[in-house]
Amino acid sequence: MNVDRARLDRALNPRSVVVVGDKGPHYMWLSNLSEFEGPVYSVQLDEKEIPGILEKGIENFSSLTEIPGEVDLVICAVPRQVTPYIVADAVKKEVGGVAMFTSGFVETGDEVGARLQEQIVAAAREAGLPLVGPNCMGVYNRRLGVKFGQGQEKGQPDEDGHLSIISQSGTHGISITAGMQALGIRVTRTISIGNAAVLNETDYLEYLRDDPDTPVIVMYLEGVRDGRQFASLLRKVTREKPVVIWRGGRTSAGARAAASHTASLASDDAIWSALMRQAGAISTDSAEETLDVAQALVRMPRSDRRGLALIAMTGGQSVAITDQFARAGFEVPELSQQSYDRLAEFFVTIGGSYRNPFDASSTIGREDDNLAKILDILADDANIEGVALEMQARDFEKGTERLDGQIGLLRSYQERTQQPVVAIMPEGGFGAATPGILADARVHVGRAGFATYASFARAAIAFGRVRDYWAWRGEVGC
Amino acid sequence: MADVIASARAEGRTLLTEVESKQLLADAGIPVAMAQLATTAGEAVRIADDLGYPVVMKVVSPDIAHKSDVGGVVVNLADAEALQAAHGEMMARVQEAAPNASILGVAVQSMAPQGAEVIVGATTDPQFGPVMMFGLGGVFVEVLKDVAFRIVPLEPRDARQMVREIKGLPILQGVRGQAPADLEALEALILQVSAFMAAHPEVAELDLNPVFAYEEGVLAVDARVVLAEPVGADDVSGVEVSA
Repeated sequence: MNVDRARLDRALNPRSVVVVGDKGPHYMWLSNLSEFEGPVYSVQLDEKEIPGILEKGIENFSSLTEIPGEVDLVICAVPRQVTPYIVADAVKKEVGGVAMFTSGFVETGDEVGARLQEQIVAAAREAGLPLVGPNCMGVYNRRLGVKFGQGQEKGQPDEDGHLSIISQSGTHGISITAGMQALGIRVTRTISIGNAAVLNETDYLEYLRDDPDTPVIVMYLEGVRDGRQFASLLRKVTREKPVVIWRGGRTSAGARAAASHTASLASDDAIWSALMRQAGAISTDSAEETLDVAQALVRMPRSDRRGLALIAMTGGQSVAITDQFARAGFEVPELSQQSYDRLAEFFVTIGGSYRNPFDASSTIGREDDNLAKILDILADDANIEGVALEMQARDFEKGTERLDGQIGLLRSYQERTQQPVVAIMPEGGFGAATPGILADARVHVGRAGFATYASFARAAIAFGRVRDYWAWRGEVGC
Repeated sequence: MADVIASARAEGRTLLTEVESKQLLADAGIPVAMAQLATTAGEAVRIADDLGYPVVMKVVSPDIAHKSDVGGVVVNLADAEALQAAHGEMMARVQEAAPNASILGVAVQSMAPQGAEVIVGATTDPQFGPVMMFGLGGVFVEVLKDVAFRIVPLEPRDARQMVREIKGLPILQGVRGQAPADLEALEALILQVSAFMAAHPEVAELDLNPVFAYEEGVLAVDARVVLAEPVGADDVSGVEVSA
């Protein structure tokens, strides 16, 4: 790593924050810190901006070096030509680190920008100053309430996190974080790495590997600066915690002209896929797929098993769910004779079936006692190693009671068996609700702690990817 | 083995000839069908007489990367007479197709028995360094691009997966009564080439194409090694810049 880890720790877990160059009318950066409990200061020389800052009850200084006490994180939002002075002051003040929102550097392609970036990078490197960015949204820390977007949550100090995010794109960093939080996933930290000029993706990956509050790592990357270092670190990290990587821009670089067949076939995409497979990382191609996989990692107990009970509401859906899960490498085994005997006692077989897959609406469509019985039988059946349930959003608009009853049953099943359970509420499924209500119902189930999906296909693919990851962990012996 | 690389460097070449490539790889313990350089037709016949017929003859030129594209490969030469005749015809063909190529002579090697054709290769990725490729030979690699890659260094499980990842695997496992190919020997070859690439950063690209996979064992019947541009002219994308 380019910088001292303890110093980076200060920057990413700050006890005090200074915003340099925030502007009205909204004072975005200072407003983002409204829930942060440590001291917040401002540095702003522009006379027009200062009254608004003071009005927010924030003390303003004319230089970083004038601020009393230690400064852990500097959020820098000044125009680009001012950045060398801010970095120099940050070095002098011995701050923990700088998150540089300012853009207009190498990404512009102009010479001034490139030269400025060179200048601030050289100064930061020489002083061992952790500089996040430039051209980034900086650092979100849930526990501390350091945010780069108003919608981001502040958690309670005693709540564990589910995962952390490293994003080369600020937009994707914001939207993936928001998507996770909508489903009740606790994002420990999101680091928007921008131009990654001083600290790069490998440094952040290394930091998160050793972060005890980050059990799962999610990355959005477009390029990798030091491929060999990244590859060798990734191969180690995946043996300790799951790493999901959404790589953007994969189709842009085609095959190269070369003297050998091998070189001409070694496209960027082919090599990236090889790395993902070899390193045991989970590769995704979109924000949705990234969220889908993250849910399965966070919500399901570790399992590499394949035998599922599939419970759909209608005959047609029971065929559809089976197609998708079989395609994703799952098995839909027959149940034991004992299970069939018990099911025969109450299951409505006119317009229904329980061979596995289940066509269950006539049995469980109106009341949950029968769902409880079915789950009991499945929990006792040694052939079953997980459950996928088509859930009904019906009645959700009238209240959460119905859904909460089903959620309770799923929870006791998962607690009893330690098997993965997935809740699917497909568009146009049984007891169809409007898309808005479906979406709300999904969020409700997600927040209750279950992986929940909008289609059988998405559920099966995400569940399968995560099963393959755990199987790989078993194969490599960790 | 350093001589092969040093002499190519001294001549300002990055493309090694087949004879040089095979020498380099054989020294590393990689199973290759050795080829000997003959500068005249008479010398080719003497080598072939020693090896025993049938033989294969290929043009040797540091300027020609794809020999068959210029008509520079003749297989299954049954005796001295056939070899002599083929030599003259091949030289004429190559000179017409590649008039500016400097021709050192021909490589003569025993005609290896036909096996399942695969390609084992390596190249240097600008981001990730040396990488390995495996696939079925011929149309499978050229048209269908049915190949698998891994980043060097490979672990045994990587080689095992590579061989099993390609869609054409059933062909290697034996279809229509054909004997299955020796997959373990292929995995061992892939690991040997991975170790070779890790030990030779001066090698940029390498094709073993084709490799014949037999029921027992494998043999690279053609080989091409491309050296990296001399240090200094190279880019530094793979070089660590941090302190």
